[in-house]
Amino acid sequence: MPKLKIQDLEKIREKRKRTTMIREGGDYRAKVTVHMGTCGISAGARDIMNTLINQIEEKDIKDVLVTNSGCAGLCSREPMMTVEVTGQAPVKYVDLTKEKTKEVFEKHVLGGNIVQKYALGKGSEKTDYGKE
Amino acid sequence: MAKENAYRLHVMVCAGTACVSNHSFEIKDALQEEIKKQGLENEVLVVTTGCNGFCERGPLLVVQPGNIFYQQLTEEDIPHLVEEHFLKGRPVEKYMYTPPEEKTPVPVLEDIDFFKKQVLIALRNRGLIDPESIEDYIARDGYQAMAKVLTEMKPEEIITQIKNSGLRGRGGAGFPTGVKWEFVRNASSSDGVKYIICNGDEGDPGAYMDRSIVESDPHSILEGMVIGAKAMGASQGYIYIRNEYPLALKRINIAIDQAREYGLLGPDILGTGFNFNVQVVRGAGAFVCGEETALLASVEGRLGEPRPRPPYPAQKGLWGKPTNINNVETWSNVASIINRGAEWYSSIGTGMSKGTKVFSVVGKVKDTGLVEVPMGLSLGEIIFDICGGIVKDRKFKAVQIGGPSGGCVPAKQLNLPVDYERLTQAGSMMGSGGMVVTDENTCMVDLAYYFLTFIKGESCGKCTPCREGIPRMLEILTKIKEGRGEMKDLDLLEDLANNIKATALCGLGNTAPNPVLTTLRYFKNEYESHIKYKKCPAGVCIDLVSSPCHHTCPIGTEACSYIGLIAQGKFKQALEVNRWVNPLPSVCGRVCHHPCETRCRAGEVDEPIAIRNLKRFLTDYEKSTGNKPSVKPTPKKYEKVAIVGSGPAGLMTGWELAKKGYKPTIFEAESVPGGVLSWGIPEYRLPKDILNTEIEAIKDMGVEIKTNTPIGKDLTIDDLFNQGFKSVFIATGSPVNSQLGIPGEDAEGVIDPIQMLKKYNLEKKVDVGKKVAVVGGGNTAIDAARAAWRLGADVTILYRRTKLEMPANAEEIEEAINEGIKIKFLTQPIEAHSENGKLTKIKCAQMSLGEFDKSARRRPSPIQGSEFEMEVDTLIPAIGQTPDLSFLQGNTQLNIDKWNSLEVNPETMETNVEGIFAGGDVVTGPATVLEAMEAGKTASESIHRYLRGENLDREYHPTQPELEVATVEVSPEELDELTRPEMPTLPVEERKGNFKEVEKGYTKEMAMNEAKRCLRCDLESKGGK
Amino acid sequence: MNEAIDENKLVEIIERYRENPHATVAILQDIQDEYNYLPKPALIKVSKEFNVPLTRLLSVATFYNAFSLTPRGKYQVNVCLGTACHVRGGERIMNKVEKELGIPRGETTEDLNFSLDAVRCLGCCGLAPVMMVGDDVQGKLKESKVPSILENYKQ
Repeated sequence: MPKLKIQDLEKIREKRKRTTMIREGGDYRAKVTVHMGTCGISAGARDIMNTLINQIEEKDIKDVLVTNSGCAGLCSREPMMTVEVTGQAPVKYVDLTKEKTKEVFEKHVLGGNIVQKYALGKGSEKTDYGKE
Repeated sequence: MAKENAYRLHVMVCAGTACVSNHSFEIKDALQEEIKKQGLENEVLVVTTGCNGFCERGPLLVVQPGNIFYQQLTEEDIPHLVEEHFLKGRPVEKYMYTPPEEKTPVPVLEDIDFFKKQVLIALRNRGLIDPESIEDYIARDGYQAMAKVLTEMKPEEIITQIKNSGLRGRGGAGFPTGVKWEFVRNASSSDGVKYIICNGDEGDPGAYMDRSIVESDPHSILEGMVIGAKAMGASQGYIYIRNEYPLALKRINIAIDQAREYGLLGPDILGTGFNFNVQVVRGAGAFVCGEETALLASVEGRLGEPRPRPPYPAQKGLWGKPTNINNVETWSNVASIINRGAEWYSSIGTGMSKGTKVFSVVGKVKDTGLVEVPMGLSLGEIIFDICGGIVKDRKFKAVQIGGPSGGCVPAKQLNLPVDYERLTQAGSMMGSGGMVVTDENTCMVDLAYYFLTFIKGESCGKCTPCREGIPRMLEILTKIKEGRGEMKDLDLLEDLANNIKATALCGLGNTAPNPVLTTLRYFKNEYESHIKYKKCPAGVCIDLVSSPCHHTCPIGTEACSYIGLIAQGKFKQALEVNRWVNPLPSVCGRVCHHPCETRCRAGEVDEPIAIRNLKRFLTDYEKSTGNKPSVKPTPKKYEKVAIVGSGPAGLMTGWELAKKGYKPTIFEAESVPGGVLSWGIPEYRLPKDILNTEIEAIKDMGVEIKTNTPIGKDLTIDDLFNQGFKSVFIATGSPVNSQLGIPGEDAEGVIDPIQMLKKYNLEKKVDVGKKVAVVGGGNTAIDAARAAWRLGADVTILYRRTKLEMPANAEEIEEAINEGIKIKFLTQPIEAHSENGKLTKIKCAQMSLGEFDKSARRRPSPIQGSEFEMEVDTLIPAIGQTPDLSFLQGNTQLNIDKWNSLEVNPETMETNVEGIFAGGDVVTGPATVLEAMEAGKTASESIHRYLRGENLDREYHPTQPELEVATVEVSPEELDELTRPEMPTLPVEERKGNFKEVEKGYTKEMAMNEAKRCLRCDLESKGGK
Repeated sequence: MNEAIDENKLVEIIERYRENPHATVAILQDIQDEYNYLPKPALIKVSKEFNVPLTRLLSVATFYNAFSLTPRGKYQVNVCLGTACHVRGGERIMNKVEKELGIPRGETTEDLNFSLDAVRCLGCCGLAPVMMVGDDVQGKLKESKVPSILENYKQ
């Protein structure tokens, strides 16, 4: 990896956005983020991640991006994951189990229908995103 | 608020992730510029909001009033939009978007209480990026601020920005960050070497925001540090992370490796010629290392002992070189300040406390977690609005802020805006932002003891006050917790605390006494309760408590023992345990407000044991086997005692006195005995035959009850003494209904709930009309409503607060709702209208909840212009009752307080007149059956001492059960299956038009299984000794 | 007591820090991680190699909670007694673990499988009460869950 110069930052940013933003014509039709801070992991986030990976392997799915991130803040409702499907607001699921994860994967990630009973809310938090 | 109200239009720009990546911030800037150009800046306010959920339409704008959505705007569209809509008032249709009808009830995250008031700066990337991917961070504008600083800014400019932003250290003391940086910049170093350190030794128990930031966004710290390094002229940094945070250690190391590989750390960063390197230091487990001089020693590989300051680390720090130390959260704010400017940052927060603060809100709140909010939000908003209030709707007690160095803040300070200065004034401190919320089941003496134990373990031992003083304080607290304390110990404790505070060497020692000082300041009564009454009100201190259910029962029912006996199937013996102290177990098994269940330790992790239902099962079981309470009267050897009133207080006193060998006579004005038990509580809750069986047994014990015998005109209290009664106990209750105090209240159709229930219970007929409104939230209101519903009325309860604040038993409220009774919360009647003297409608106001009162409940106040009318033919005000003292005929010397209640010594129930005692509602105002029984029990003991010529002062002892009941072996698997059984009830459709008992009682199997769930705290406490 | 230890690992650790003699704490941490305690021969060797008095090493070893001078169990059980865990019943979890393992806090089981300690805060307060077994954090504990959790780590 060659050392970056200032202008490279912009390139990386644009490229990353292109590949990870879930939109029409993008690389992925859906993105699932498992929240894996210490709280999440101790509440069972690894099981959630494994369930997702198994589902993807089992069903041989290529266009769903599974990733992880840190704590989402609401520790008492861990394990949590966020599902983002093309053209829809991201949805946070809480108090997950392996069974619930499978159901969400089938119905929402693949089917595009929110599984209301496990969903906490849709959309994302207001963030301080730096000015360009 | 006033300022915001002055704006004509509010424009909300979505700042959710998707909209921002669609350039919503540029749209916001363009809007603001155009608004200024058009001279509308005093009329139109632009604010950012979280995601609306229409991400595919972003960037999205919402204009209020009108709720007009604009979609997919570009900067070029803005001048047209501003001119047409904001200036000329013509919404621009071609940009407009109509959201589709909501198909799913999934709420928008921004509308969820937990997220609504949060503003994310330090946590800006939480849950959004893969912390092990530097590209993810860069994609969210990561390292932009660093690039700007390295290419465009002079060190002085950076420091000015940080100074102007008002950022203060987020780790504890709150020292202005920019000023600290300037010290280090200006400090001289012989070889030019300076260091910067990120303090991630997050030691305060209850705080974990630093762990979360390192785990979820490690690059934000690295970026902040490079900016700081440039500002201060440092080329080496250290990140000190606790040993207990393996994941944080892993992720920060990955982040450093990635940044080095990309040339964002190391030599010649981004080709700008700036060099900076970072090394991670793993802590080795010592709380004191959070203190900066101790931390320096630890980084140098020495013992983490603090040293006196000055010299400050800014002059002589790591290896004697100028060193800056900031904590994780402080560093993670830096890049945002550089990106968005000092002015933006300082526009958030309060006078001296700018920006946001991350709090970890944990302990007894419903939603635990990390919340980042603008400085100045009130404690109540954080604990109740964001975190949902207290688990199981128990009572809030206090919040401990700032860890062992901080202090607790009680309910009366819930309106306190949270910032550095105001927390310090309240005796607490910001610290690192850990908020441990405590409830009525937390003992404040135990909490103070806990913190001192903690500090004792972590004290480095270098200075005497801390090394010797803290163990002394602990000794005293131990005495108090074990019931051996004396009142003078409290002064000694305070003296010691103040001494250590003044003389200890370092911050750890100086602040160590804070938890003791604040609990003494706000909860002295709890200390006194331990010392004087041997009571731990929260049911925690094991040597006093034994089991919380037993300790908490006002009449001392050995619940742990009877539950244990039920688990063994020994029902008869279990009921006997009840009857040792209680002549009314089948009454209490139905109507008791069961404080034991609130304290039950099984309830801390699961549902509390259904103690009341188990009691009722025992009495049901006895009845089903055809048995009756067996009574062995005590031979009468003592004087005659007169009791006025046959409610629960009078019955209890009579029973206790008869057991001791007295000859008690109860004088009852009504035609039946039982007082409120017979004519107040409706039969669907307490069947008359059940009550009468127990009253008969009390009579069999030797208590004479004279009904239809009012005390007053024909028979005065003096007459009673003249007839040879040696003492009198007054327990006439609190039967006078309070009025609402609204115009029109005297109309026909406004009825007194007490009179209504009495008339129904005694005469079995009462007219309640067709459309009934009941006002109030207590048990009387619910009783009146459910009785009226049974009589065929359409019933609505009006309550001025919310369900959470309703004082009635939760079970009663649920059943009322099940029966189809409507409850209008936040509603208060303000006027009654009548035609021809008959009530026709009421006018009500909608209430809003404002500031918190001392009981941690929000105060209701009417909303201007919210009035509405309700057609009703009956209005039942049930907002309170007062005693009726007319029977005194004005000719005694009894002291009466301002609530028209009798005054007694609460420890003995003696009035100011010799030989006369009083208790129950006539003293306390409307309270519970159990509290009245407690007063009766206390009074009977006092009367006994009085008549035996003994000193009336009571002796208090720690709680100890009489029995030692063995546990029943239950396998963990079986235990996992067991849950608190729901009370079987009569179907709602079978309740109308009759007063059949609603609750049907537990089956034998239900009762035995439920008893098996008991944790048997009583046995634990014996083992502990 | 003559303790036999695998010297190769020790040499590796020492070489790692050859250039960085200030890192006393880090060296001891690595030794602790490797052997589950600080064996006496290791301390003597470190003392010689880095020319640090043994007494200084011992004072560091006894100051910080992370070190032990006696062999520790394969799995370290840390029951959190931080404030949030305390108010949510951490002490009762501790009592249950003590009972289950048959050792008081601060000690190691005879089979050297578990060592039990109380720790001040694991930073998982949102899930209180919590404990850590090895590297795994277990949250929202109940007394009744303790036996089955420990069972997973028994040999």
